[in-house]
Amino acid sequence: MTSEPINPGQWRLSFAEQEAAFIIHILAQLGRQYQEDPAKMSPATRAYWAGCISRGAAKDDEELKDAQEILAETRSELRSQRLDLVENWIREYELAESRNPWLVEVTDAERDEFVSMLNDRRLLRALEIGVTETEMDADPVQIPEDFRRHAILEIDFLGHFIMAILGPQIHRP
Amino acid sequence: MSQVESMRGARILTPAHRGIERYLGGPGYGVSLIFDEREHTRVPTMAKPEASPDIDVEEKLKEAFARGWSVIVWNDPVNLMEYVVYVFKTVLKMNEADASRHMMEVHQKGKSFVARETKEKAEMIVHRLRGFGLNATMEQD
Repeated sequence: MTSEPINPGQWRLSFAEQEAAFIIHILAQLGRQYQEDPAKMSPATRAYWAGCISRGAAKDDEELKDAQEILAETRSELRSQRLDLVENWIREYELAESRNPWLVEVTDAERDEFVSMLNDRRLLRALEIGVTETEMDADPVQIPEDFRRHAILEIDFLGHFIMAILGPQIHRP
Repeated sequence: MSQVESMRGARILTPAHRGIERYLGGPGYGVSLIFDEREHTRVPTMAKPEASPDIDVEEKLKEAFARGWSVIVWNDPVNLMEYVVYVFKTVLKMNEADASRHMMEVHQKGKSFVARETKEKAEMIVHRLRGFGLNATMEQD
């Protein structure tokens, strides 16, 4: 997976065949998650999508109540907008003449939305298993339970994709 | 129109954002405007060509007193350090050094105050940071 600037504010992403297939699989999963009925979400996932405007604010703070409602509404719209983007990415893949490599040209804003969606998937997977800091720092192959190991490997792998996509603009501390 | 083209122009507009757009005088706003002193003065002076320097000063004072809301980013175990730096640079227009310093503060102390703004602008920043997956909140000073 590579990312290279082609013009100011424009990037060409290149995915090897297996990488493209993996990304499309992830996007398909993400598409289902973006469509999930909030009533059927786990409390942690529902809280993630509602967002939290303020910690420790008085519950009767009317100003913040309104702000919380607006945040929840914004995040609901965001899910629906990202679902559209997921569908566009999958359609783009299906229409591609070549998938080895699969080349996609994107603007800065499209690239940011794409990495944000991959990051949504990382965060949602982490919520599914209630990941801990210790697990994130550990070697994933040493994690005994299959379900947790798979989730953490996916989170790590998507992290590498994000780093590769943002690569030219990332400073590694 | 290609699929890539059709993906362009997807902007997130919320009631709060629309209010901010009106405040900034059009849809071409960005968070960078918040930190650009020239942009704060430009809207009133463009809307009112007769505006005097006194009005500019008054607006600036009003703006300064209204900046009573802090935006806080909290630590989490999943977001990558490099990604957080990238988001701070992109959303908050921080330079590399400031973005890295705030990221390290989040990582080591559990949270960092990343902006101090008016309520409307603080809300917009929280929305954008959350759009990138960062755990951001706001509180009144």
